[in-house]
Amino acid sequence: MNGDPTPAASTAEPETSEAGGEPQEAARLNAITKSFFGVPANDRVDFDLRWGEIHALLGENGAGKSTLCSVLAGLYHPDSGEIHLDGERVDLASPQQALEHGVGMVYQHFRLVDRFTVAENLALGHPETGFVASRRSLERQVAELGRRYGLEVSPKAAIWQLSVGEQQRVEILKLLYRGVRILILDEPTAVLTPQEAQSLFTTMRAMAADGQAIIFVSHKLDEVLEVSDRVTVLRDGERVGSMETAEADPAALARMMVGRDLSTRARSRTEAGSAALSVRGLTADGDRGIEALREIDLEVRESQIVGVAGVAGNGQRELAEAIVGLRRSKRGQIFLGDVDITRTSTLQRIKLGLGFVPEDRMRTGMAGGLPLTANLALKAYRQPPLSKGPLVSKRAVEERARTLEKQFDIRGVRWAMPTSLLSGGNIQRAILARELSARPKVLVAAAPTRGLDVAAIEAIRQILLDERDAGTAILMISEDLEEIMDLSDVIVVLYEGRIMGRLDPDDASPEVLGMLMAGRTADAGPDAAADTAPDTGADTAPDTGADTA
Amino acid sequence: MSLPLGAFELTVERQQIPSRLVRMAAPTASVAFGLLVGAVIIWAAGQDPILAYTEMARKGFGGRLALTGTLVLATPLILTGLAAVVAFRMKIWNIGAEGQLILGAVASSGLGLWLGDRGIGGPVGIVLMLAAGAGAGALWAALAALPRAYLNTDEVISTLMLNFVALGIMNYLIFSSFSHWRDPSRATFPVGRFLDDSMFLHRFTGRLHIGLFIALAAAGVLWWGLRSTRWGFEVWVTGDSPRAALYSGMRVDRKILSVLMVSGAFAGLGGGIEVGGVLGNLDPRALSLGVGFAGIVVAALARLSPLGVIPVAILVASFTNARPGLQVLGIPSEIVTLLEGILFLCIVGGEWFLRNALRLQRRAAGPGPGPVEVETAPS
Repeated sequence: MNGDPTPAASTAEPETSEAGGEPQEAARLNAITKSFFGVPANDRVDFDLRWGEIHALLGENGAGKSTLCSVLAGLYHPDSGEIHLDGERVDLASPQQALEHGVGMVYQHFRLVDRFTVAENLALGHPETGFVASRRSLERQVAELGRRYGLEVSPKAAIWQLSVGEQQRVEILKLLYRGVRILILDEPTAVLTPQEAQSLFTTMRAMAADGQAIIFVSHKLDEVLEVSDRVTVLRDGERVGSMETAEADPAALARMMVGRDLSTRARSRTEAGSAALSVRGLTADGDRGIEALREIDLEVRESQIVGVAGVAGNGQRELAEAIVGLRRSKRGQIFLGDVDITRTSTLQRIKLGLGFVPEDRMRTGMAGGLPLTANLALKAYRQPPLSKGPLVSKRAVEERARTLEKQFDIRGVRWAMPTSLLSGGNIQRAILARELSARPKVLVAAAPTRGLDVAAIEAIRQILLDERDAGTAILMISEDLEEIMDLSDVIVVLYEGRIMGRLDPDDASPEVLGMLMAGRTADAGPDAAADTAPDTGADTAPDTGADTA
Repeated sequence: MSLPLGAFELTVERQQIPSRLVRMAAPTASVAFGLLVGAVIIWAAGQDPILAYTEMARKGFGGRLALTGTLVLATPLILTGLAAVVAFRMKIWNIGAEGQLILGAVASSGLGLWLGDRGIGGPVGIVLMLAAGAGAGALWAALAALPRAYLNTDEVISTLMLNFVALGIMNYLIFSSFSHWRDPSRATFPVGRFLDDSMFLHRFTGRLHIGLFIALAAAGVLWWGLRSTRWGFEVWVTGDSPRAALYSGMRVDRKILSVLMVSGAFAGLGGGIEVGGVLGNLDPRALSLGVGFAGIVVAALARLSPLGVIPVAILVASFTNARPGLQVLGIPSEIVTLLEGILFLCIVGGEWFLRNALRLQRRAAGPGPGPVEVETAPS
């Protein structure tokens, strides 16, 4: 039990590695099994964690990383298996109990109250917070904790004013403030810029040096190699192995993770054709009524992938929605070929040959409660053979679904099953199957591989490349720099609703892109600066793409 | 989810999707269980449950008179049940079937009287009369549907409130004015003017009229429409995910409008059939008995299945039909109301248990011993 709320408690523990000499066990999970709907997400997984170490949990999506962490964090109760914390067998019935044992998890989706300040969020739900809380001492403690671990954030700032990276710091602070000594970070870098990720790693190292134990969940090899002391690889719900990171070989780790060698794809550039999608001076409001897109100029040609890079929330979703007609544009024009589609309906745009892979697969891309057969027919149900006049043929809908299932290798389908129960990779294949089977001239793909496992990512990227080679113009919006670099023929960087820069992928290093994504053109280096067109709008429009493609 | 109970706690776990057979068998089992619980309560109230049940069955279904009476009562229930089914399928909560039914009765009786005065009776007149009822129900629903579709107002409030407006209109036409609907020859006690005989719906035997078959046909049409048309497909998608519907180019606003108007049309048709088949005039006392609200219960018990509405409506109608007969035998009619409530709870509860399982396990008190499963052996 760790009832002491003061941050000092975390370091006053006798079990820290420096004190004992031999590193002691912070947590041990024995033969953890947890199934969902009869499918094991964890199958007899063993895991151990030492004080003072950063232990990476590596694996594809669906490998069981999040499940294992949720078991340790008390969110899931394992079907069988034992949890030992600090050498003592425990049963964690709730996240609350896990917190009492000093185990806390930072989830991918933050659990903060937007309108509250940082300090208020920390006080919220804290067992020592009485009816009247001392704001000043709280703010002082927050500042002190922040200084010690490089988690600097103003205690008085409201959450909604903070960047995603800062909000993550608040989540970590919240756990430290509750006396957490075993910290689980579930894909923490997914939402961060490269610079923010570096700062997170510094924090993690400082905490480990202080004797705390950290589980770092990731599917990014480079990060794991950079920051962790040990690494455990999970695959298909089972533990494949653990090793000291210093002894780990990247290729071997990748093999353990995937179960096979990754294919490397040589980029084959095709000749770009005429403009298929042109966006001129597009300005649109976001959900809160604030301008989310400002004077966007873009051009995507046939047989060309234009990659839109940027940190989430800089106008990517709004850009995609404005192009496909789900968001009204305030100014500017959108052309599909030579047809002005700025004021046409979504249906009209679909008929003119616009396909869309939305970032929100489950709510926008699919009707999650419906079976996959229906979802695969979402757009095609209007035309024969699926419909004749006002009637829809159930048989034709099912036949088409079976054809697409084979053609796009969609797996794990039971036909009456709600689509939401499929894995992310299969859902994405299904969305692509639906969109590409309509033979679009222009495809807008938002975060096409986010949250997918390595095999699915490979497959979907290959599908996009094949589609480009077949002549389709693709606007790919992605937060994954590797993906942007790998697939794009032209890269544009979106920052605060503006295009910060246009780059040739050969000139774009992750560092240059990272700087542009963080909104810093001046430091971006000569290559980027030359191609950068910050906000000067229309005059750069006619020749964009032409000089970079 | 968990509920602490002393040293134990009750946890809820999601179950796998049950097989088709289980899903079909579950409502029957739920009804049987409900009848069993009801029997205990009837027994506890000092009555004989076996007598009560046999009497209910006899008064509801035994013999031509009982059966036709039940079917006549079931007819408007089927239509208001369908009204709820079509709207609820798209998660549009039309609580206004009551008012739509009343407006349907007002329009049907109004046009029926007018046509009767001009000698246009028979099949043509009747079809026009019923069409007017359906149309008026649809338009009344549109009053709530338009602001819902284009201004995103809450349809629960608007449809509910329009019920009272409709009731007020009907009462005004009969009780507070000398309108087209009121019988001028009855000055002291206001009643609605009766339709010409040529405007009455065809009767088969007893009170059973052709309206039942219109309602059955309506259920068939809705079943087919939801299953086999583009409109039905769009309702399906929109009900599950309006965003996915918008994304795939569907006009969600028009879908809301059309679904609510179809819903209102079913209820309005129910009103027209009551006037042409049972009442013969606009009778406020007979038309404000909560058939619209009962339709919501029917739809829920039928699990939003258009064809399922038919047996459920007949069952509920049989209870209503049996009520006066039971009272004669000294079984209070509240027993029937109670039984309806118990059956409703059991069927909804049965649905829940199809998808969730309850587990009682000993609470873990800190770092104590491992969990002790009560239902399953510890591993």
